[in-house]
This record gives sequence, structure tokens and C-alpha cells, in this order.
Amino acid sequence: MQGYNDGMSRPFWSNGPSPGQFYNFTGGDRSASQGFGPQNNFGAQRSSQPITTGTSVVGIKFDGGVMIAADALVSYGSVARFQDVKRVFKVNDQAILGTGGDFADFQSIQRSINDKMIDDICHDDTISLKPKSLYNWLTRILNNRRNKFEPLWLDMVVGGIENGEPFLGHVDLRGRSYEDDIIATGFGKHLALPIIREQIVEGRPFTQEEATNLIKKSMEVLFYRDCRALSRYYVAVCTAAGANVSEVQKVNQNWEVATVVRGYS
Amino acid sequence: MFQQMNIQQNFPEYNIPGKQHHDFSPYESNGGSIVAIAGKGYAIIAADTRLSSGYSIHTRKQKKTFKLTDTTVLGSTGCWCDTLSLTSLLAYRMQSYVHTHQKTMSTNAIAQLISVMMYNKRFFPYYVSNVLAGLDEEGNGVVYSYDPIGHCEKTTYRAGGTAGALLQPVLDNQIGYKNQNLAEKPEITKEKAISIATDTFISASERDIYTGDSVVICIITKDGIEEKTVQLRKD
Amino acid sequence: MALQEICGLSDAPYMKSRTHFLKSTEEEMKNSTSNIENCYSLSAPPFENPMQNLNAIQQHGEKSGIKIDFDHGTTTLGFKYQGGVLLAVDSRATGGQFIGSQSMKKIVEINDYMLGTLAGGAADCVYWDRVLTQECRLHELRNKERISVAAASKIMANIAHEFKGMGLSMGMMLAGYDKRGPGLYYVDNDAQRTPGNVFSVGSGSIYAFGVLDSGYRWDLTDEEAQELGRRAIYHATFRDAYSGGIVRVYQVTKDGWINISNTDCMELHYKYAEEKK
Repeated sequence: MQGYNDGMSRPFWSNGPSPGQFYNFTGGDRSASQGFGPQNNFGAQRSSQPITTGTSVVGIKFDGGVMIAADALVSYGSVARFQDVKRVFKVNDQAILGTGGDFADFQSIQRSINDKMIDDICHDDTISLKPKSLYNWLTRILNNRRNKFEPLWLDMVVGGIENGEPFLGHVDLRGRSYEDDIIATGFGKHLALPIIREQIVEGRPFTQEEATNLIKKSMEVLFYRDCRALSRYYVAVCTAAGANVSEVQKVNQNWEVATVVRGYS
Repeated sequence: MFQQMNIQQNFPEYNIPGKQHHDFSPYESNGGSIVAIAGKGYAIIAADTRLSSGYSIHTRKQKKTFKLTDTTVLGSTGCWCDTLSLTSLLAYRMQSYVHTHQKTMSTNAIAQLISVMMYNKRFFPYYVSNVLAGLDEEGNGVVYSYDPIGHCEKTTYRAGGTAGALLQPVLDNQIGYKNQNLAEKPEITKEKAISIATDTFISASERDIYTGDSVVICIITKDGIEEKTVQLRKD
Repeated sequence: MALQEICGLSDAPYMKSRTHFLKSTEEEMKNSTSNIENCYSLSAPPFENPMQNLNAIQQHGEKSGIKIDFDHGTTTLGFKYQGGVLLAVDSRATGGQFIGSQSMKKIVEINDYMLGTLAGGAADCVYWDRVLTQECRLHELRNKERISVAAASKIMANIAHEFKGMGLSMGMMLAGYDKRGPGLYYVDNDAQRTPGNVFSVGSGSIYAFGVLDSGYRWDLTDEEAQELGRRAIYHATFRDAYSGGIVRVYQVTKDGWINISNTDCMELHYKYAEEKK
């Protein structure tokens, strides 16, 4: 702690400029000499970074529904910290959600989603949150936080059934959102998307069985290649009949190939 | 001494092993191009459907044209989250205009509204390249183009977005007849405009990595807005 | 008062219900259209010192292909002479290296007796000129007489002062005719406001000044004055890469402003080359 008589010039007033300096518009006593740049977030007062994180989320539309899958791991840097976490959720019978990025940020938003669900139930008018509203709401919330330079470090996939049609959308930490038939985030974008895209038959959606197998294959590849991934995953499925999150699924592991790989010994 | 307590001194930056260092940049370039051409009795506006950032493509079917009224269409590319914010805010302001004045907004009123709304964020701009196309009160085509902080100019043709600098000279030559020293400069018909717009996008997808997949062309006439899709390179 | 309020705990996000998300989003929505109701109320940036930090963001973005280039306008000039005030400008708007427009209107018609020229950030100039136009009209309605150039320029200088240090970029001249006769004022983003007889503003101004100063006299005829302005801008477009397009000449007399000519500078180039032979 600095005293009053440390021989250094003190600001004129609290948070004010030092003698000979201009008052900063948004307050604060950072002088220009401290330098500005990306390293201190362009003079924004706050910054955040992901700490406990989830990796890829994969979502696929199929004939009559959508499914979203994510593995059960939440990492703490390079530590595989929490190994049985559901990162896919049932919001209600017509909406499901998968989340990657900072898990703490997700939990803070999840509380709000739960509140919304409770409100819906309390109204008891059979009207509940539709996937597109949820998707749009998330877009606005995340964009609002990036506008404050205080992003919620999330990569989310929203799915569901709206007016009988399957819906699948992606929202990222800036509030950039888009809809598509297949969506993957993080590493999945590079590893899972091409595998799924290969299997598209022009003019026909996937069947639920095909989608399940594709998810399985994707999670397997992700487990082998993404070192922040886990062999256990959950799948949320939403069809006209309702939504549910599966029991834990296991990736087919085959390490026999390890002996064939050369170059280690 | 308690008064002297400085939060930054007592609560150092949250520095733990799990922390991953990321620079947060509020902006991201999501690519895409727009071409708009206006003529007698029509205006067309075309935008590709690729949404990407860096070297990865998010989706190949993102429409970047926004139908605002029966005679006005906005094309918007750049940082997609800013496009989404701007267009939804615009929809809200336009709706409240309808309720206040009991009529839909004219193209030039929308053009001014967009300019003012973009200038509002002068100190933290929307990173977008906007081109507005529509019909004026006489039913003739007009095009308005914007810089990121809302400087607006009325023209008859304009290219914007990542391939904007690539396409504008083509339009200058094909539509503006710049430096052609022709005795006669024939008016561009609607059909000609559509084919020029299509061609420019085919060229753009050859040379710009952020433009491709398909192009959606909105043809605005007094009879309404017709939409056409042409496939582009998908690589 | 509950303890949580004394500690400021009630302000913490986790003490609020989900409405804190909505409230903040709604507030933002209100803020980001605030200048429709009150044109002086722009959104505050989420960082301090926008002049430096907006630049830092722009520079940081260049690395990842993000180019937030604002349109800039350049050479303008204006001078008083026995016949009134003469203004001449080019029409090029550049966004970075790219010529955004070759047909920009850099003279804004504020009312029938007053013109403003713009150099610097195009959006800044156009937006605040529009605000000035509104203020001038309101002055007319309140006082039943036209605003003087001095008063109008003072409004502009006050606006510039309000936003001083925030990174606005404006260098404008206001020219008009009022009770005091012809008026010409220079106002810029530092809120400097100066009356004067001869001004040239923008990156091409040094070239324009060369021609202007060598040919300027108070007793120029109208034709001589117009030609001097035109020639000065032409020379600026020839030497300055950020200037070009159409040379527009306007004149303000006691009967209001008139647009004298709008000539492509390529045309002028061959015309002047011909004269030299």
C-alpha cells in the first residue's frame, strides 16, 4: 500500500488525472504511459478468460428431430478435472442445449434459463420456451456481454422442434449465431463436421439411426485426436415426442493400433 | 489506510494454473460480399451465403440480405454478431415507426435511420459493410452504401464486403461505363443487371476465400421482391 | 436497510433474478438508439480513452483481416473576396487505401444562406453538420431571423468541445452571408474556431494553398475567384493521392448560395494542359 509521502505525485482528486495529464473520459487513473493494446484489453476495465472448460459440441438434424452430443469432461487447463459432467441439457420437451467453453459462465446462464422454465410452468398455460426464442435470447445475452467487454466464454448449440420442424443453431461468445443442419464447435468443427458431411445424401435428411451412428463416430474421432476430450459422452435428443438426455455413452476404444504406430521407441 | 486500499493491489489478477490465456477481441471478420445495382423501375441486391472466420467456414447457407419492407432490402456483412444486432435493432425501430406514423418507412427514411443508428456507436463501431437497395417514391431504384460509422452515400451501384474492393472496379466499368469514352451509354436493364451481379459473384468466389457457396439475388420491383439463388464454388 | 444493501451485495449479479440479463440487454437497446431522440447522446464505449483504444482495436484487427476503415474526405478551400465567399472542394472519399467514392458531396447545404465544407471523418462531419442544420433551423424558428455564421460556427465548436479527446476527426469551414456581410469560419475537432479570409483544409490543402495564395486578391471578379478556387483544387487532386474526383465550386452572395460548377478533374487536367501549349 502506498502512503501519502512516498515522494510520488498524487492525482489531483480520487480517480483523477495526475498533474499535467488529461482526465480520461470513462474514469480510472490509468495514464497513457502504461501503454494500450490488446495485452490489456484496449483499456477496458475488465477482462475474463475461460478457466474450467468443456470442449466440442456436435449437433445434427435428422428426420423429425435433432440431437446434440458432448463428452462428459470439464477441464481445468490441461487437467481433466471433472469427468462426469453433463454438457447437454433438456430445456423442455421442445428444446435442448449443448454447451462448450467456460462451464462457470454456462452455469450462470443456466440459472436464468431455469428461472424462465419455472416461470413457464407457473403460468400453466401450456406455452413454453421454443428453441428459436431460446436461441435468440442467448444471442442477445452473449452479444450484450461482449459489448461490455465482459464476454461469457461460451460456445452453445441450441436444438429443438419448432412448429413441427427440427431446429438447430449455434451461438458463440460474441453473439454470432447461425442455423444449419449440422453444427460442431471447437475441435469438432475440424474433426467431426467433415465426417458427418461425407454422409449427407442430397435431398434427404438423416434418419435418427444414421444420426446416432454419426455422433458415435464423431465422438470417437474426437476422443482420439482432441486431448481435452473424454471417452464418455451424453446425447440429448429432441423429437416431436419430447426431449431426453441419454444415459452415458462410451466411445469404442481400440488401442491395439498403438503397437503398430512407429516413431516412439 | 483503509481508504487507500486499492482493489487491484489487494485482489491480484486471477492467476491460476487452469487459466488459459486468450486475447478477447470483440470483433471477428465473418466475410461475405454484397453487390447492389439500381436502375429505372428496379433495384437488385445480391449477397453470398458463406459465413466464415479465419480459415474455417461456419455455414454455407447464411442469407445476408434482410428484407425490410416490400421495396427495401438491406445487405450486411462484416462481423456477423454486429450485423445481427444492427438488423434486429433496425427491425424494432421500423416497427415503432409503423405504429407511430401508420405507414411503412420509405427507402430514403430507412437509409437515414441506418446512418444515425450506426453513428450512435461511433466510439465502438459496428464492424459491418452495409448496402441498402430499394425503390424511391417514384418507383425507381436507389442504392445507399455505408462506412462502419454511418457515412451514407446514395449511388446507383455498389459492391461491399470482403470482395468489395475486387468487385467495385468491375461495376465501374460494366455499369458506370467509366473511362469507356462511349458516345452513347445505354441504360442497364434489369436482366443485364442480374447477369452482371451473378458474374461478379462467380468471379469473386474465384479470388476471395470469404465469398462462395451460393449467391442470393433479390430483385426489387413495384410488384414485390423476387429471390433467386445461384450456386457458386464451394471450395 | 438490509445488510446486503449496505454491503452493495444486492448489486452483485448473483443476488439478482434472471431479469438482470434482460435489464442489461434492454438498457443497451435503449442506449444504442438514444441518438434518435437526442442527437447528442451517443453510446459510451466499454473502454476508456476511445481515441487511443479504438485505434488500438483497429490496429489489432488488421492482423486478423479486420479493417475498420472509416471514410475520409480531403481537400477543401474557401475564401472571402469582394463578391462574397467562394468554396471549392474535391469529391474523393477514401477508406484506408481504397477509394470509397469519387462523387462524395463535401459541401453541405445548411440553409439557403449557409454552407459547410467537410474534411476528415466523413461520418463525423455529415452527422454533426446535420445536427447543426437542425440547430440553425430551430434558431430561425425561435428568433424569427436567420442564424449568423458566427453563431452557427460557435454551435459547431461547442459540439466539438463536448467530444474533445474522444477521437472525432473534423476540419470544417462554415461559409455564409448574414447581417455582418460574408462570413467564413474554420472549426475543427479540437474545438478551434477561427474567422478568416482564406482557408484550406485537408491533406491536399498544402497544394491548394500554393495556388490560392499566389492568385488571391480581395478585388477578384466572380469569374476570377471561381477559376482560382477550381484551379487550386485541381492542383491538389493532381498531387495528393487522397484527393480527386469532381471539383465542385460554390459561391455565397447576399442572395444566398449558388452552385457554380461540378467538373471532373480529368476534364480540367486536359483543359489546363491545352492552355499551357
